[in-house]
Amino acid sequence: MLLGSAVPVVAGTISVQANLANHEPFAGAVVTVRADGAHAPSAPISAILDQINLTFVPDIVVIPVGSTVEFPNSDSVSHQIYSFSPTKRFQLPLYHGKPYPPVHFDQAGVVTLGCNIHDRMVGYIVVTDAAYFGRTDGHGTWSVTNVPRGTYHVSLWHPLLRDPAASLERDVSITGDESATATVQLAQSLRPAPLPATARSRDAY
Amino acid sequence: MSALRTWVAAAVLCAVAPGIAWSTDWELSADMRLVDSDGQRSLFDGGFGALQYDREHDGVQVGRLRAAISQPLGDVWAVKVDASYFGQDEQHPLGVTEAYLEYRPYPIDGWRTRVRIGAYYPPVSLEDTASGWSSPYTLSNSALNSWLGEEVRAIGVEGQLEWLGTRLGHDFDLGMTGAIFGWNEPAGTVVGTGGFSLNDFQTSIPQGYVGGRGAAAFPEQPIFHEIDGHEGFYVGTDARYLDRVTLLALHYDNRANPTAVDLAGNEAWDTHFNSAGVQVDVGGGWTAIVQWLAGTTAVVYSGDAYSYPFHARFALISREWGRNTVSARYDVFGIESNAEYDLSAEEGHAWTVAYIFNQSLRWRFALEWLHVTSDSAARVVVLDEPAYARENQTQLSVRYTIGSGR
Repeated sequence: MLLGSAVPVVAGTISVQANLANHEPFAGAVVTVRADGAHAPSAPISAILDQINLTFVPDIVVIPVGSTVEFPNSDSVSHQIYSFSPTKRFQLPLYHGKPYPPVHFDQAGVVTLGCNIHDRMVGYIVVTDAAYFGRTDGHGTWSVTNVPRGTYHVSLWHPLLRDPAASLERDVSITGDESATATVQLAQSLRPAPLPATARSRDAY
Repeated sequence: MSALRTWVAAAVLCAVAPGIAWSTDWELSADMRLVDSDGQRSLFDGGFGALQYDREHDGVQVGRLRAAISQPLGDVWAVKVDASYFGQDEQHPLGVTEAYLEYRPYPIDGWRTRVRIGAYYPPVSLEDTASGWSSPYTLSNSALNSWLGEEVRAIGVEGQLEWLGTRLGHDFDLGMTGAIFGWNEPAGTVVGTGGFSLNDFQTSIPQGYVGGRGAAAFPEQPIFHEIDGHEGFYVGTDARYLDRVTLLALHYDNRANPTAVDLAGNEAWDTHFNSAGVQVDVGGGWTAIVQWLAGTTAVVYSGDAYSYPFHARFALISREWGRNTVSARYDVFGIESNAEYDLSAEEGHAWTVAYIFNQSLRWRFALEWLHVTSDSAARVVVLDEPAYARENQTQLSVRYTIGSGR
């Protein structure tokens, strides 16, 4: 992912270390990095968000603005997907398999997905206009290399966060070939993670 | 005209997109039991035992043969019909337990409505959450939910409004439900004259009954009749904290005129109750449920008014891991009576322990032990037997299910 051609070509690295309130690593957090000033967002992509065992897989998809997402249903039961998030309102009437074309996301923001048949299903699409983005690994880390000189705003997001959004933002500067690290230490514990689908929930009345 | 165009467009879309699932969802299942019981004659055979199977009905038994169908009508309408044969109901090979038309539109800005028209259960049970209004924890329902299966069904219109707060970044979802119904005026007959029982029986609509044929001590009781023309109602509310805690409360009143009798001699029982429950799901597959129900049923018979306050409650703890579920439940139930000899007064409690192995989506194996202790005045007054009874029942169940989702 490259910035616009007017940006000086000096390659640095931005690293993010995210820790939970108990100082354990925060895995799966969504990281977005915006340049200070005008920049070209990442190129659109085509993503897939599947439905397996009454669960959205993966639970969170991060895509650049202008991307498309396909929503196959790999379950043997039908699903009825919806979003009433202002970022993108849409509905996929009762289906299984892959009957529908991909959905286009042309506005930045978070899209919360649900199934009108199975209320326990919840998924998220983060549509971003950031230059760089990703999710933290099992060690709570994420990094991007070949970052041109400049100042960058790093933001962290996850659906289970209780900390206010403003406390999850950091500024870092790249002035040469060095690495800049943004550390985010949560002050509050996460909401409980959704319980996994079980034989009982699959046989729900 | 625009509605017609919408229907035509929908039909064309359905025809050209085979994955769009307006096709029928269906299930067929057979549940066979191997039963060991020392129970007294059960309600289903005209006695006052508190078990589903008495000592005359152990060995191999038909637990339940079930057929269910869900037919979408467009995107947000569906017809759902559930029919079963329970081994106790020899007169009705296959009876409908629920049948309704459902309207379930997509949520708008976090609000969702649902309407059901037909015959359905009021949202009381936290226990019977598996297909066919069955329990995923045990074979036998609690006394509380057994009574619902025997006597309570709403035949009418129900509306529900939900606020999906968890989809808006909050920790809670909230809901409200209300219904107007008829044809449930004999509700109270069984608890008022036969007492509580622990079973997984569900009386069928519209001709189902509970009780014994002929000159049984507890004769058959038709359940789903409209006798006085008064509609009943229920209102309820629910709240959920994430997917961890569910609270449920409901007030039911069939608003029957207790002096009313139809041409066949069926009496209207004025029955109302309050119910509340809480379910807690924590990590590791642990679930705990507590449910409480208390109410009164009243009838006027030969000019004398009879009133029977009743209550039932239970606590259940369960752990699910992999394909295994182990559950334990403690039940308490009771009926008071203002009648001569305290006819139908009852106090009882029960312990249930069950292990369920879901070998696959098709095969389920279950083993349950149930011990119930009760004092029933009817045993003294009607049968001239001791009021006190200790009854034990062990069931091994093998269930095979096929269907569109299996």
